[in-house]
Amino acid sequence: MKTLPLLKGSLRTLAQHKVRSFFVTLGCLVGVAALTWVVAIGRGAERKILTTVRQNVGASAIIVASGGGLMAGGARTDAGRLTADEVQAIADALPAVEIWEPLQTLDEAPVRRGEATALTRVVGSSERGERAWGRGVTRGEWFDAPAVARSARVALIGETTARELFGAEDPVGAEILVGNVPLRVVGVLEPFGTDAHGMDRDAELVVPISTLMRRIMNVDSLAGAKLLVADPDRVEETAVEVRRMLRERHALPPERADDFHLITPAQIERMVGRARAVLFVFLPLVAAVALLAGGAVAASLMLLSVAERRGEIGLRRAVGARARDIALQIVLETAAMTLLGGAAGAALGCAGALAIAGKFGLDVAAPWGAALLGLALSTAIGVAAGAIPARRAAALHPVEALR
Amino acid sequence: MIELEKVDKAYARPGAAPVEALRDVSLGIGRGELIAIVGASGSGKSTLLNVLGLLDVPTRGAYRLDGADVSALDPEAQARLRNERIGFVFQAFRLLPRASALENVELPLLYSDRPRTNGLARAALEGVGLADRVHHRPAELSGGQQQRVAIARALVNGPDLLLADEPTGNLDLRSALEILAIFQRLQADGRTIVVVTHDAAVAAHCGRIARLEVGRIVSDAPVSAPRDAAAALRDLPLDIAAQPAQASQAGREAP
Ligand SMILES: Nc1ncnc2c1ncn2[C@@H]1O[C@H](COP(=O)(O)OP(=O)(O)OP(=O)(O)O)[C@@H](O)[C@H]1O
Ligand SMILES: [Mg+2]
Repeated sequence: MKTLPLLKGSLRTLAQHKVRSFFVTLGCLVGVAALTWVVAIGRGAERKILTTVRQNVGASAIIVASGGGLMAGGARTDAGRLTADEVQAIADALPAVEIWEPLQTLDEAPVRRGEATALTRVVGSSERGERAWGRGVTRGEWFDAPAVARSARVALIGETTARELFGAEDPVGAEILVGNVPLRVVGVLEPFGTDAHGMDRDAELVVPISTLMRRIMNVDSLAGAKLLVADPDRVEETAVEVRRMLRERHALPPERADDFHLITPAQIERMVGRARAVLFVFLPLVAAVALLAGGAVAASLMLLSVAERRGEIGLRRAVGARARDIALQIVLETAAMTLLGGAAGAALGCAGALAIAGKFGLDVAAPWGAALLGLALSTAIGVAAGAIPARRAAALHPVEALR
Repeated sequence: MIELEKVDKAYARPGAAPVEALRDVSLGIGRGELIAIVGASGSGKSTLLNVLGLLDVPTRGAYRLDGADVSALDPEAQARLRNERIGFVFQAFRLLPRASALENVELPLLYSDRPRTNGLARAALEGVGLADRVHHRPAELSGGQQQRVAIARALVNGPDLLLADEPTGNLDLRSALEILAIFQRLQADGRTIVVVTHDAAVAAHCGRIARLEVGRIVSDAPVSAPRDAAAALRDLPLDIAAQPAQASQAGREAP
């Protein structure tokens, strides 16, 4: 028997039953689109999260946040204060800690330069910021230890803020006002782009931590600190030590909860893992349900089709089709429908992923694997869904079918 | 070529006595014969044709095709024989409505094991005088033309046995005569043709007539002077041909 003309015939049958084919196609389309989309976006988002985490925390850093509770819980009234001195003491006491970096940020501050104004985040940093964050300057220089010690009125400027205030002019050496504090721009930050939270990290000023705390925010405790551990294998044990020492310094009795919060790479990995579980288990489950629904629709519609086309089946048997030729034809027809849906779904999923990626600055690789998987799945579902109608068609007695 | 020996065919009916559609039918048909099977409705004509065409298996008895018992063959082998050696023509044409004449004729080639089938379908259509209708759909053809497409389909694989169940039942006189002329020409080519009909005028074009009554063959005799369908066509006045007359009535008037 010739499979190619048979396939042609199958495609023609699909074209004849447009509405029917459309519904079968739809299930697989939704399923495969969801699958492709999820995998593409999931991969991109995961990569984004991991690179951001790596940049912010690194594989060997411990973040100490003042205040207890969860990371997203916000400051609480009984939050223990975290001072630069005690973090310095802990860092000095633990040889595993290579350097540490204070954390304090003013989320939105008005910045002026002559007539030009901008709203920007102001980040406090030590002279070690360049090493601690892995982000340097493209022009000028990072402020030094004496500048931090005397709360120098200097700032490093991100590219977005620089553009807003200076246009094409060179900002280095110019004077800006944060609130009513005059600062001299001493350098331009390396471009960073958008982080995992969708924040533009180039709309930023970095100033000495002391300048931020004393001159701009008027606070005397840190929001947190980042401790870099030289040996990645010793991060978790160092975190245990940090916790013990902080509890001791804060004079917390054993029944009291921490009044600070520690974030370690292991914790972050667990969080990313949970996000990944949602993306890679739950959403593909939705895709699978859509595909199965498509398969069920395909099977029932093909049963209907077989019943309707008894005469045609009888005729084919009369001119020499074997039972398995008939079965093959039905399976081909079903698989052609689901494959069509799968192909449309893969295209839609890719297009959707690229659109989303463009909007959120995700780095989405073309999800070829997912698209192929979707095509294979929809074909397999077509074959499976076609099996029962095919068996029924093949079992038709030629004379009965012709009657 | 064909030998039926004491063939019975009973249709089982759940909760009732089986219908004995064929009883003790013995029939020999030689190569190149054009034989008519006649009989009242329900006498078993179609059943007999289905048995001959390997679409149905007898309950009892033997069916030999060229000496080989084929009723015991497995369904696959029977399908091969249907494809290669047997052509079927049905009363209701049974063309695929959405396929062109050519595609309809190509249908048996789909299931053929022959390596080269190019041009066969077109040639078969030319053979029934439809060279200019290959791309027409059934709905765009007259009844007679549709039946000729069906005949071309039956012939496309070059079978030596052609089985036709009431092939002219739905046709006007001219179309019926055209079909019969094709059958007579095929017979002259050496093909064996079995035509089921309840129409005596159609049977009169065959070389032999077998009569069935309630599943039994009650008479089987050669026709002394079969009518010539081609000649009748030539003599047919055009106005009569235009009317959808019954082949039986007009056929009887033909010389
Ligand atoms: N599948 C079946 N189940 C039960 N009885 C059947 C079946 N097929 C045919 N019969 C019976 O077998 C007998 C012969 O039927 P068949 O179709 O061969 O008659 P026929 O001579 O072709 O009649 P007609 O001229 O009306 O086509 C009839 O009595 C019919 O009712
Ligand atoms: Mg009949």
